[in-house]
Amino acid sequence: MAAYFRRVLLGAFALLPALAVTPAARAAAPSAPSAQHFIKQSGDKLVSIINGPGSTGQKAADLRNLVNNIVAVDQIGKFVLGRYWRVATPSQRSEYMNLYHQLLAYNITTQIRAYKGVTFTVGRTQTGPQGEMVSTVVTRQGQSPAHVQWVVDEVGGAPKIVDVVVEGTSLRVTERSDYASVINDHGGQVTALLEAMKQQLHKMQAG
Amino acid sequence: MGIAIRSILPVLAAAGLLAGCATPPPRSNQAAYQAYQQQNDPLKPMNKVFYRFNNTLDTYVLKPVALGYIDVTTPGVRRHVSDFMSNMQAPAQLLYFMASGKPRDAGTTLVRFLVNSTVGIGGIFDPAATLGYRHVYTDLGLTLAGYGVPAGPYLYLPLFGPSGVRDATNIPADFVMTPTFPPPPSTGLSIFNYSSAGLNVVNTRAQLHGTISNVKATALDPYATFRSLYRQHRAAQLKTINRRDVVTPPAWYPASVRARMKHQEYGQQ
Repeated sequence: MAAYFRRVLLGAFALLPALAVTPAARAAAPSAPSAQHFIKQSGDKLVSIINGPGSTGQKAADLRNLVNNIVAVDQIGKFVLGRYWRVATPSQRSEYMNLYHQLLAYNITTQIRAYKGVTFTVGRTQTGPQGEMVSTVVTRQGQSPAHVQWVVDEVGGAPKIVDVVVEGTSLRVTERSDYASVINDHGGQVTALLEAMKQQLHKMQAG
Repeated sequence: MGIAIRSILPVLAAAGLLAGCATPPPRSNQAAYQAYQQQNDPLKPMNKVFYRFNNTLDTYVLKPVALGYIDVTTPGVRRHVSDFMSNMQAPAQLLYFMASGKPRDAGTTLVRFLVNSTVGIGGIFDPAATLGYRHVYTDLGLTLAGYGVPAGPYLYLPLFGPSGVRDATNIPADFVMTPTFPPPPSTGLSIFNYSSAGLNVVNTRAQLHGTISNVKATALDPYATFRSLYRQHRAAQLKTINRRDVVTPPAWYPASVRARMKHQEYGQQ
C-alpha cells in the first residue's frame, strides 16, 4: 500500500512540471511553420516597402504602420525597462511607452536608406525559451550577409516579433542594459531615463 | 634610468587602477547593489576615460580612414582581406581547439589552413568553405572560458576597445601566436607585420562601420551598449563552439547508424 502510494505520489510530482508547462507553452508559442510563414510574409512586406516607389516620408509612415502590426512594441518596451517597470509610477509608465514607440519609429526611419536593395532568405526554425526563433539571412548591397534571428511569440492571439537576434546579440537585452545604465548613473531615477529619451528624440527629429 | 622607469611604471599603473575604481553602492540598497554586481564593471571610471580616448581617435582618424577604405574597395576585396587575416590566425586556433578538447573544430581548422594556404593562395581565397569546411572561430579567452575561467570585470582598453580581464589575454597571445613571430626579425617581415596589422584594423573597422554608427546614433548610453554587445557576442561565440562539439560518425559505421548519429549541426558544417 505504502509502495503504491509512493508511486502515485512520485508520478504526480514527475507530471507536475509537465502539467504546469505544457498548456502555457502551447498557448504562448505559435508552431514553427506558422512562425516561419509569419516572418516570410512580414519580411516580404518590409522589403516591398523599402525597395518600392514612393517618397521617404511615405515609406516611413508605411513602415511605422507595419512595425506596429508585426512587432510586440509594448511587450519589448516593458522588457527593456526591466525591474524599473515596477518602480515607475503609472504616469511615468505611460510617458515611457509613448517615448519608446516614437524612438523606435525614428530608429527605423533612419535605417531606410541603409537598407535599400535589401533581400532575405528564411532558414530553419528553432524553439527557444522566448518563442520560435526563425533564422534569416539578410543581404544588403555592398555588405556581407548578416544572420538575423527573429523571435516570434503569440501576443494577443496573433504572432508577433518579440526580439531580434543579430549575430548572437539580442536587441532587447542590449537596449535593456542601455536604459538600465542611464537609470543607474542617475541614482535609480526613472525620470532621468525619460529625460534622456526626450533628448534623444529631439536630436533625431532635428537631424 | 631604465631601473627608475621599471620601478615607477607598476606604481603608476596601480595608482591608475585604484583611481579608476568605482565605489560600489552599499549592500543595504539591494536593488542598486544587484545592478552594480550585474554590470560587473568596477573599473568603469577608468574604462570611460579610455572609451572617450578611443572615441576621439575613432572620430578623427579611424573612421575617416575606414570610410576612404570602403570607398576604394568592394565588399569582395574586404572579404578577401578578412579571409587572409583569419587564415593567419588558423595555426593558433588549431592549438586552442586542441587544448580545449574540440577535435571536430581542430580538424576543420587544420584542413582549412592547409587548403586555404595552398589552393586559396595564402588564404586570400576560401576554397575550404566550398568543400564544406566553414570558418570556425576561437581564441585564448574562449579556450580559458572552456576551462571555467570566469570573464572577470569588464575592461575597455585604449586602442583595443572592449575586453575583459580574461579576454585581454588574447592581445599578447595573438601577438605571439602568428606564423610571422618565430622567424628571425628582418626589415621585410617588420614591414609585412605592420602593414598587415594596420590593414586588419582598418578592414575590421570598415566591416563594423554600420553597427558602430548605428549604436552611436540610437543608443542613450553608447558605452553601456557596446559593453552589452561585447558580452553577448562573446557568450554567443562560446555557445557556437559548444554547439558544434558533436561526435563525428566513423566512416565504417553502417549507413543507418551514421544517419542516426548525424547531428543537426552537420547541415551547417
